[in-house]
Amino acid sequence: MTKPAPVRRKLSAGPLSTGDKWFFRSTSIAAYFSFVLVALVLIFLFLKAWPALQEQGFEFVYGTKWVAEEGQPLIMQIGPMIWGSMLIALVGVLIATPMAISLAYMIVFMLGSRLAKVATTLIDLLAALPSVIIGLWGFYVFTPVAINWETTLHQYLGWIPLFKVENVDNAFRGSPFIAGWIVAVMIVPIVTSVTREIFSQLDKDLINGAIALGGSRLSVFRKVILPTSSGGVVGGVLLGLGRALGETVAIFYVLQISFDINWGQLLESHGGGVASWILARFGEASSGEISGLMAAGLVLFVITLIVNFIANTIVNRSQPWRKD
Amino acid sequence: MSFAPRPQVQPWKRANTSRRFQILLASVLPIAATALIVLFAGFDANLATISIFLPLQIIAAGLVGLKAFGRRGFGDAVLVVLTIFFSAFVLILLLSVFLSVLSEGSKAISLQFLTQNNVYISNTTSLEYGGVANAILGTLLIVGITTILAVPLGIAMAVYLTQSQSKLRGLVRTVTQALSGLPSVVSGLFVLSIIVTFGFSKSGIFGSLALFPLMLPTVARVAEEALKLVPSDLRLAALALGAPNYKAFFQVILPAAKSGLITALLLGLARVIGETAPLLLTVNVNNGTSWNPFNGPMETLPAYVYGYLSSSFVSAHQRAWGAGLILLVLVAVLFGLARYLGRAKSLKSKPTKQKASK
Repeated sequence: MTKPAPVRRKLSAGPLSTGDKWFFRSTSIAAYFSFVLVALVLIFLFLKAWPALQEQGFEFVYGTKWVAEEGQPLIMQIGPMIWGSMLIALVGVLIATPMAISLAYMIVFMLGSRLAKVATTLIDLLAALPSVIIGLWGFYVFTPVAINWETTLHQYLGWIPLFKVENVDNAFRGSPFIAGWIVAVMIVPIVTSVTREIFSQLDKDLINGAIALGGSRLSVFRKVILPTSSGGVVGGVLLGLGRALGETVAIFYVLQISFDINWGQLLESHGGGVASWILARFGEASSGEISGLMAAGLVLFVITLIVNFIANTIVNRSQPWRKD
Repeated sequence: MSFAPRPQVQPWKRANTSRRFQILLASVLPIAATALIVLFAGFDANLATISIFLPLQIIAAGLVGLKAFGRRGFGDAVLVVLTIFFSAFVLILLLSVFLSVLSEGSKAISLQFLTQNNVYISNTTSLEYGGVANAILGTLLIVGITTILAVPLGIAMAVYLTQSQSKLRGLVRTVTQALSGLPSVVSGLFVLSIIVTFGFSKSGIFGSLALFPLMLPTVARVAEEALKLVPSDLRLAALALGAPNYKAFFQVILPAAKSGLITALLLGLARVIGETAPLLLTVNVNNGTSWNPFNGPMETLPAYVYGYLSSSFVSAHQRAWGAGLILLVLVAVLFGLARYLGRAKSLKSKPTKQKASK
């Protein structure tokens, strides 16, 4: 009689004891909570935003009117605010990127290790400054200085469409230019820290080899450092862009918000920002308008989620040493 | 056909005296020239920095580089000058923020500003009356509740990301990273929508909930870094001795990573303590002192700054600056503590490494 083949033993590497099972179960619950949180934010915002979205249709996103007076039908369209957010974020990124790359280059390739540590700490501290303090500073200290810059720009470079001003009495204070600078101050730290991280992880042999072949600082920077780190730097800049799009209080103080769309005349005193508009309106908003503001928040969230997702993917991909 | 003799390039040689003199000249002359123009021609200092000083400095440094190393020296000099210029610019911006908050804020600070609340105070009341004690209390209570909620959860997430073998780790990390870019106003709107949906009334606890999604990713990320620093040998040794995973974590990894986890807590606190928009959306302001975060309005430091900044009176502005200074000090203290703990740990870890190598 032949013996039946023995049942294959089940091999598993899962946790064995009850304590371990509960330990891993609770940490998994905590980890999955991040999914739940994102889903909850989307669901609750969507529920509250739905009446407004339904009423306004797609024009909510690209229309240019906001009428919320008693006795009139609500018209809520945030086109100018979305465009304003993007314009300010773009200006901020354009200003912040050269500064951040310079700082990262300085910290990694020019300073001694002790000074580099001090500089890194200072940059991280700048990242921790609350936006309300930047707003305070921007309103009282920076705006007068920036108006000075703007007047000069207008005087000498006024023929460039970007710096053109229709009416000098209605320009300079509260312009997207100032808001862009404020945003730049707020995103310089994050772009710097991503860039610094990538610069400091570059292959030292590659750089030394380039120097041995007769490369100068400039040629090493242009032909070796930038090409090998460009992906990560772009990711860092995009992360900064995500932050810039969501900036609220600081922009609220320094910007003159208006629904008169500003296509790119940076020095004129009107601009927009989705987050700041929400802050400006919610205090006196009726329940119908609150729904519109929720919809604006939803749009903002979706935009920043996409930008951040792309940015993180690029940064993670350009930092293979961070994979565990 | 003849070639011009190339300048002798010996970058490894130490600069001789005349080269040093040239470098000194190139660093001093542009500043001096700009200062003279500003002083005597009445040119605007800001404008002069960009339009006169920077080009002059580039030309001066470029000439020295050109003379010393030929064309490549010129490019290097320009790169170095631009790098230092931009970096100094950021440094000046940072210093400007600090110094203005310090100088303006210190005018408002006094004992009663720190100990009194804001009842019976209007925009025009002189600074001798009223203070921010209620706002400090409110901020501490609200942020404290957020910490109690976010820190254990954030650390648990970090444990999941570092200790478990789950395949979903990459996704969890991506979502957490995406969450860290959540605009603060959206977080506030989210909690506001919960309040509206269930018919709650605004109170301090909802402020804590609105800060929670902002604090969680910071804590999780820093805690993950801290846990990664613990050598996996320690954990494996504990497991090999027969310890279950949870005991290995609580008795081996947690003590080893303690200071790193406290750093995570502090950086998370520094991230949310100054958040304004979520609190404005979810907590009503209160001039009196409130100890109860579960009911009624509550004042917070950011909301205090926000409220007084919107007015146009001088004493109101000074109140805003004073509260801003307190907020800045809180952030700086938290940040400094986090740095100190981080450094203390790296100092401690060095000798053990040396021991292991013997």
